[in-house]
This record gives sequence, C-alpha cells and structure tokens, in this order.
Amino acid sequence: MKWLILVLATPLLAGAAAPASANEKATEIIQSSITGFVRPAYAALHERAAALNDAVKTLCATPSPANLQSARDRFKAETDAWSYAEIIRIGPATEQNRLERMLFWPDRKGIGLKQVQATLAAKDAAAADPAQLPTKSVAMQGLGALEFVLFGTGSEALSSSGDPYRCQYGAAVAANIEAMAGEIDAAWAKKGGFADQWAQPGPANPLYQSGTESVTALLEVFVNGLELVRDVRLGGFLGKQAADDKPKQAIYWRSDGTTRSLAANLAGMKALFEASGLGNQLSPDTRWVADSVKIVLGNAIDAANALDGPIDDTLAGEQKRDKLAYFRLVTSTLTELFATRLAAEFGLTAGFSSLDGD
Amino acid sequence: MHLIDRRNFMQAAGLAFAGSLSPRQLFALEKADAVFGTAYQLKDGTCGLAVLSEDSNVLFSAPLPDRGHDVSYDPIARRSVIFARRPGTFAVVFDHTGAGQPLTITSPEGRHFFGHGVFSPDGKLLYATENDYDNAAGMIGVYDATDRFRRIGEFPTHGMDAHEMLLLDDGRTLAIANGGIETHPDFGRAKLNIATMKPSFVFVDRVSGDLLEKHELAPELHQLSIRHMDQDQSGTLWFSGQYEGPETDRPQLIGKARLGKELELVAMDDRVLASFNNYTGAIGANRDAGTMAVSSPQGNALAIIDTATGKVVSHQTLTEVCGLAPDRGSFVVTTGRGQVISADGNAAAFDDYFWDNHVLRIG
Repeated sequence: MKWLILVLATPLLAGAAAPASANEKATEIIQSSITGFVRPAYAALHERAAALNDAVKTLCATPSPANLQSARDRFKAETDAWSYAEIIRIGPATEQNRLERMLFWPDRKGIGLKQVQATLAAKDAAAADPAQLPTKSVAMQGLGALEFVLFGTGSEALSSSGDPYRCQYGAAVAANIEAMAGEIDAAWAKKGGFADQWAQPGPANPLYQSGTESVTALLEVFVNGLELVRDVRLGGFLGKQAADDKPKQAIYWRSDGTTRSLAANLAGMKALFEASGLGNQLSPDTRWVADSVKIVLGNAIDAANALDGPIDDTLAGEQKRDKLAYFRLVTSTLTELFATRLAAEFGLTAGFSSLDGD
Repeated sequence: MHLIDRRNFMQAAGLAFAGSLSPRQLFALEKADAVFGTAYQLKDGTCGLAVLSEDSNVLFSAPLPDRGHDVSYDPIARRSVIFARRPGTFAVVFDHTGAGQPLTITSPEGRHFFGHGVFSPDGKLLYATENDYDNAAGMIGVYDATDRFRRIGEFPTHGMDAHEMLLLDDGRTLAIANGGIETHPDFGRAKLNIATMKPSFVFVDRVSGDLLEKHELAPELHQLSIRHMDQDQSGTLWFSGQYEGPETDRPQLIGKARLGKELELVAMDDRVLASFNNYTGAIGANRDAGTMAVSSPQGNALAIIDTATGKVVSHQTLTEVCGLAPDRGSFVVTTGRGQVISADGNAAAFDDYFWDNHVLRIG
C-alpha cells in the first residue's frame, strides 16, 4: 500500500554531497527497526500462532467448554500479535498474498462469511486439509475465517462433539496461519533477503538504491499505517454521527477484539518508532516532535485500550463513543506529525502526485 | 469518507474565475501558442485548476473543492472539464479563455468519478469513468453537454476501477482501462481485492454501449493494474500500469493494445524498469515526434520511448514527475514538487504548487 511517497528535499539525512554517510545512517535506522521491532513482532506472531494451532487441535481432540475457551483466548492473543505486526506492509508479508490470506478485511460484501458458511454446510474435505487450504479463496484461510469458526453462529457446538467438521476446518485454518507466520518470520531472518535489501541501500540494490529510499519506506509504514487505521479500520464502522455507525462492519467484532486491535496497531507504531531511533536523530530544538509522537501515540493507545469490550456497547455509550471519535482525531494529528513535521526534519516532503491508484 | 458534501463544493466551485483575468493575462492567453490544463494543490491545502502557457506561466487559475485529476477538452466548443480525483464526486467545466462561468457537475448517488473522461467528436456528449461502488463495477456516465451537462445515461465498462479512456479515430469506439482494483468510499482509498484483482482493457461502442472486445493480461500479471493510455501515430494504443504485487517482483509495466489483437507487453531494459518502482503515473504520445513518454512519480523517473523501435531514447530522474503533454518535438512535464518543464527543457518552479497527476493540451 504505497499511498504516499516521501522524497528527499534537504540533506539532513542524505544528499549527493555525502551519499556514503547517508547510507550508513539509513542502515543504522533500518537495522534498528528490524532488530528492535520487525523480527520480535513476527517472532511473537509465529509463537502465538503455534499456540493457537495447538489449542485448536486440542479442542478438536477433546471438545469441552474449557478447551473452547482456551482456543478462543489463543485466537485473541494471535490477533493482538497480528494487529501489532501488520503495520509492516512491505517485504515478506506482501508476498504470496499473505496479507490478504492472513486477514481478508474489510469484507464489504461478506464474501468470506458466505464462503466459510458454505464450506461448513458442505463439509468440504479439501478446506479442512492444511495442505489444500492455501489453494482456496483467501477469505477462507485466515483470522477472519477462524474468528467465525470459534466465535460465530454455531461455534458453541465446539464445546461438545457437536460439529467435528467445523473444528477440523478451524484446525486447518490455524495450521495455515502458523505456516504463514513461520514463513514471514523465516523470510525476515534470511541472509540476503528483504531485510538486508532494506537495510543495505545502494546503487546495486534493486529495491532501495539510496538511504533516502530506505528511510522513506520506514516513514511510509507510519503514514500508511495511520491511514489504514483511520480510513479503513475506524472509518469502516464509525460513522460521522452515531446513526451512521455500522458495528457489524467492525474488525473482530465477533471476538470483541475491535478496540484491542486498534490499540495494538498503534502500539506497533510506537514500538517501531522507538526501535528505529528516528527521534534520536533530531536536533535538540526539534526533539519535541519525537516527544509529541510518543505522547500522542500513548494517549491514543490508552484511549483504545480503555474501550476493550463488545464494539456495539462502545458505540451505544455516548462517552465511550466520544473516546473512539477522539482516537480518530488523534490519528489525524499523528499523520500531521509523521507526514509533515517528522518528514520535514528528515529532509523529506510528503509526496503528492504519487499517491497510489491514480 | 472523501466524498465532498455537495453544498460545500458548490460554494467552493462557485467562486468563479470569470473576471479573474487581468487584461495582461488575457493578452498572454491570446498570444500563447499552446495552453495546458491541469489540477493543483497549494501548500496550504487548497485545490484548483490552472491553465499554463507553453513557456510555463500560469495564465489563470480557479479554485476546486478538492483535488482534481485529469482534464478533457472539447475543441468544438473550446471548453474543458476537470474531473475530481477518485473518490470525488465533482467535475468542473470551464472555458480556458475565461469566458463564462464554470459549471460544476456532480456524479449521481452511488457513483463517484475516477478522474478521466472524453468528449464525443461533436462536443455534444461527455463520457466519464465512474465507480458504481456498491456493486464494484466500472461505469461510463454520459452527460449532455448541450443541456448543462445533465446526466443522461450510463453503461458498464465490464470491469472494476475504470480509469483512463480514449475515443478512437472512428469517433465511436472507446478504449477503456479497467484498473481492476476494488475501492469503496466507506474505506477511503483502500484497495479491497488485491489478491483477486483482474484488470482488463476493453473496447466499448459509445453509442450502443456494447462491449466490442475485452482483453486481459496473463494470469500471473493479474496484479498489474492497467490505468493509463495514449495512442501513437500508427493508431496503436499504449497503456501503462502499476503493479500491486510484492515490491520484489519486477514485471513489465507498459504494453500495447489494438482492436482485434491480444495485449502485448513492451520490454523495457532492467535499469529503466527498476527506476519506475513498479508504478507509472501517466503515459502520453507525441505523435509528430513518434515518441511516447512515461512518468513514474514513485520512482522519480521519466522515460521517452521511440514508438517505432520501442527503444528508450531518453531516461531521466525527476522528483515526483507525473503530468505530461506533447509540445513541439517533446513534452511539457509537471511534477508534484511544483516544477513545470517546458518542451525546450526550461524548468519553472512554482514553490507553492503541487501539480496533480495529469496535464492536457487544451488549445
């Protein structure tokens, strides 16, 4: 999602005069981002995916209310980890449609739901086979599908042996999620892979030919991530007025995970910002921009976390809904801080004509 | 989300530019050999349309309620239309000589403009690419230019995300690029179907609305969104796209289309291709010179191709280059950094301006 490009304007970071040092600086920033945020985020995703896979397998082997609860808890832990990591929308997650296979959302026309329901009704053996599931529709392979299996209509049957196929299909989805998380994790660790390309810009690098390009890609993570949170995640269900709200268009509404996911998206950004050391590159008199970013991100995360619970309850309560509206406002403040203030400090300007899809 | 409240933009667009022309500007306009229309945004966030002279002067400008995209020109009535950038719902008809009041058109309920359109050869009808967003279907809206651009009909483009279109020399056949990317105003500009997108290049009869031909790329290129096009001196259509797959892929981005023929990709050498960063923003022909220019605002690159040989004859780095229009033996080029580069290579800087994606010669 290259919605915004940032382009070099002045030589704080780079420039024709000192390309070597600029690339070294970029390497430091990107390497810190990868080591301090990207790798641990995907490692946690993978670890929790494995735990989720185990929990669903256990549930299928021994259906019980406790095992259903355990699978549901593991699911929530995994969606938290994904929300934290998914702000990284470059590199291995974009290959083989993994972003969409991991989470097909928004599903405006309910395609995924229809496909999952049809699969459950038909008891399609191929969909319950982890080897064959990756060839099915992307909407049937990831977190959205598993959420319906574990939390949707009919999921109570999993607490007894009421619907073995549903559980097997869920186990295949959980295995697929674990496989994808493992692939992404491994691809970031691979020598000479995307991580090295991002962190080692240069004329011979096919993806990032200068330090500016590498740092631009990092700033785009924030700018595009904020747009995703605001326009897609929040805008998809939070109306201008309460009458326009669409709680059933909210992400993870079935598992009461909507606001936790929003909080985790921003928590990922905060962790990435801190890991990158971008703030340390600023001169003392502009350090306030980095401080503002951290404070505003922290406030937004707190606001979203305070709303943990069913999203329709949040939207029905005026004070709670106001908090969500505040969260939306704050994402705009953050966009201004990243796309204008911080970009300017790094000698970059928010691109204009280059906005994607035109 | 980005749809503009109708009342607000009527007010904004109602700030007419008639009367905004000084006698000096009028004189400049009359003596200008060629003028070019384009949309812009100022650093303070306000948007507008501008008419540029061949020597890179702003002859006049007028406000727009939000960002515009491409311009269409009717040489019969000598008037132009600037379309809102997606998912905008306005288009503004203006006379580049400053005569008369601009007229704002709105897309109907359930549709927004995609930013491009064409006039019929007699100037009586205007066709606009539009999004039937609830059904994720590309549509062509038909507007009666003789009746204050009243919308009189529509027909499908047989694909999603209809973007640029051209009217072929027969005056009837529309060539339309269906970009294949599903978007819905409920989700801003987010792309909703990257895993399953299916762009196409179609030919549609503008009179009957019938689909004449539909062409698709090879299945492995289904994430190459076909978005822009122009026609070379031999009548061949050249299209250019943006790739939505992983950045580590390096597919070809430019191709050729002709009625009755399969789509054909134009092989660019690795260095040129890499400079596009999997994204081209505009493609335009200089039929007299036998060249085709392609811009990449994401790769900050501009390439000019000899259409007869397919060879790249010029390749330069230009920050956020996008808009291009033929002029004399070369092109007028605009950038998102406020530069206008004239055909003779002189660069004029407009510090407060971000020029939008397209520029069109309108006289």
